[in-house]
Amino acid sequence: MLKRIFNLQLLKKNNGIFGILFFPVLLSTFYFLLSNSVFADTGNITLTVTVSASAVCGNGVIDTGEQCDGSNLGGATCVTRGNTGGTLSCSNCSYNETGCTSGGGGGGGGGGGGGGGAIVPSGTTVIFSGRAYPKSSVTLLKDAQVAASSVAGPDSNFSITLGNLSAGSYIFSVYSEDKEGRRSSLFSFTVSVTAGVTTNVGGIFIAPTIAVDKSEVKKGDNLAIFGQSAPSSDITISVNSDEEFFAKTKSDGGGVYLYNFDTTPVDYGDHNAKSKASLAGALSSFSSAVSFKVGTQNITAPKLVKKVLKGEVNNDGRVNLIDFSIAAYWYNRTSPPAKVDLNGDGKVNLIDFSIMAYYWTG
Amino acid sequence: MKNKFKIIILLSIFYFLFSLQASATSLNLVSQTNEIDIGSQFQVDLMLDAEGEDINAIEGSIIFPKNLLEIKEIYTGSSIIKFWVERPQMNAEIKFSGVIPGGFSGVLSPYYKGGRQGKVFSLIFAAKTEGVGNVAIKNAKVLLNDGQGTEADVRISNFQFLISNQIPSSTFQAPSSKDTNPPELFTPEIARDPDIFNDKWFLVFAAQDKDSGVDYYEIAEKRGSNITQNYAELRWQAAESPYLLEDQKLKSYTYVRVIDKAGNTRIVYLPPTVPWYKKWPVYILVGLGLVVVLLLIRWLWRKSKSQKNLF
Repeated sequence: MLKRIFNLQLLKKNNGIFGILFFPVLLSTFYFLLSNSVFADTGNITLTVTVSASAVCGNGVIDTGEQCDGSNLGGATCVTRGNTGGTLSCSNCSYNETGCTSGGGGGGGGGGGGGGGAIVPSGTTVIFSGRAYPKSSVTLLKDAQVAASSVAGPDSNFSITLGNLSAGSYIFSVYSEDKEGRRSSLFSFTVSVTAGVTTNVGGIFIAPTIAVDKSEVKKGDNLAIFGQSAPSSDITISVNSDEEFFAKTKSDGGGVYLYNFDTTPVDYGDHNAKSKASLAGALSSFSSAVSFKVGTQNITAPKLVKKVLKGEVNNDGRVNLIDFSIAAYWYNRTSPPAKVDLNGDGKVNLIDFSIMAYYWTG
Repeated sequence: MKNKFKIIILLSIFYFLFSLQASATSLNLVSQTNEIDIGSQFQVDLMLDAEGEDINAIEGSIIFPKNLLEIKEIYTGSSIIKFWVERPQMNAEIKFSGVIPGGFSGVLSPYYKGGRQGKVFSLIFAAKTEGVGNVAIKNAKVLLNDGQGTEADVRISNFQFLISNQIPSSTFQAPSSKDTNPPELFTPEIARDPDIFNDKWFLVFAAQDKDSGVDYYEIAEKRGSNITQNYAELRWQAAESPYLLEDQKLKSYTYVRVIDKAGNTRIVYLPPTVPWYKKWPVYILVGLGLVVVLLLIRWLWRKSKSQKNLF
């Protein structure tokens, strides 16, 4: 039978190079198909990146994406920009605060140019839109530092506009917090931004939040797995064990979902669960994982306690530049403190920075 | 027949391994030209192709034949690396190490579908003498954004070149020649931690420059009630993050100047830290508290007096 399927006659001497290459090609094709099907599982998140508008800088009119144009400052002054005085000017259709006298972090410096009656590209803008959770806060990071925040509508849709950018590649990340204060996993993407146009990044779907009602569940009892996503989303819950279990539920009008997971088929020991959402053809990434133990007793999980993130070196609830800098101080130095040696191998190296980058909050 | 079967098995293994390699991430050294005239300058870019993976840290080093090439400059502008653990320096062996918080899986753009490879940094070389050689990547490590620092399979593509006086000379324009924009606005932060600088106050900062890239930072601290506009009067010192502050009482204005490779600068500052007891909302709250206490005492005193009158 097998012989008939693979037609081993192909290997006979008379078939030459075709016969010799049959098996390698078959094996490679098989592997190619297999590997593509694996990628398909994680590669369904589709962002739409478009250019929507082009403004003309230098025409004296404040177009979309411009803060100002020539002498037209749109009524802004140094004071309205958060400074105490001075003269605000316009450079490349973006505010130039070098003439302002104080503020929380003054601009300065050479370069610039622009103005002078010439038509030059205007200020560059990116508009982000997508779904989070109803009325949740959404935070946007630009190149790993907090750049803007917004509040999603009751339908969970949000939109954030970021202006005054330079042309180049930016790494943007977004996360949200649900109504209980649980933070979503970070969703990051790199976008090449073009000068003088508005770039739209649509289709962002922030992963659901997730929690469990018990830190230890008696084998055979139910474990409540819950969280928040966009309203009326299809939620897929994955419970990782020796065997992976999948469950499906739907979020309600407030975006809240709940699934009572029967632990009968799950082995004793530590496990974790994660969830992802889909709605109208859009798919979120997986949430961060929540862990639980299947044992001989039920222990209620603590109500949203402050969870110390890996990489949160200075214990301020965030993983950001301060933590990176403390870890960088210990890079390649002997006897680092345990809090910066995140994988516990006695040294601070690239692996520790990789772990920190994964838990980044900005 | 037996030998042929062995060849087939070997070819199968070869094909299989090749297929495995095809799904790995790759670090590529690319240039617009690989035939260079003596004395000419040319640019080689180190590119990361995530190829479906999510990457958040890379390290390695670049080596080149010093008898044939001279390194003239390194540009990190528009790099996908957001924080350098080891910034590439113009040494005989160019070591680099950095992270991409949140991860990198390809550069998106409105002008093409899917994600493309991202630039790590650019090297500018000058061709010294005739010969054939290659610029090579050594000890490369690419780590996945999986929370465990798992090492990804990485495929290396080096850059081979030919230097000859038979090749017509080309005009090369360095990225810095087109850069007239200052580095982007950034926000330094003051912090302290018992595990560095003996729990003294330090400053952290990281600026981004999308054109030629950040060259270096300088810091100046000056006490006073007002900020200065005369930056030339400040005592600037070269600095790296984290920077131990001189004024541990935090009574100074702290200025941070970042200079890009084209010489454009951006200056930001932090005002002195005002002690909590000197902030005006505290005065108002304390004043209101005193008024409430006085009113309470007066009310109690009147109440006790009226009760005495009853008896």
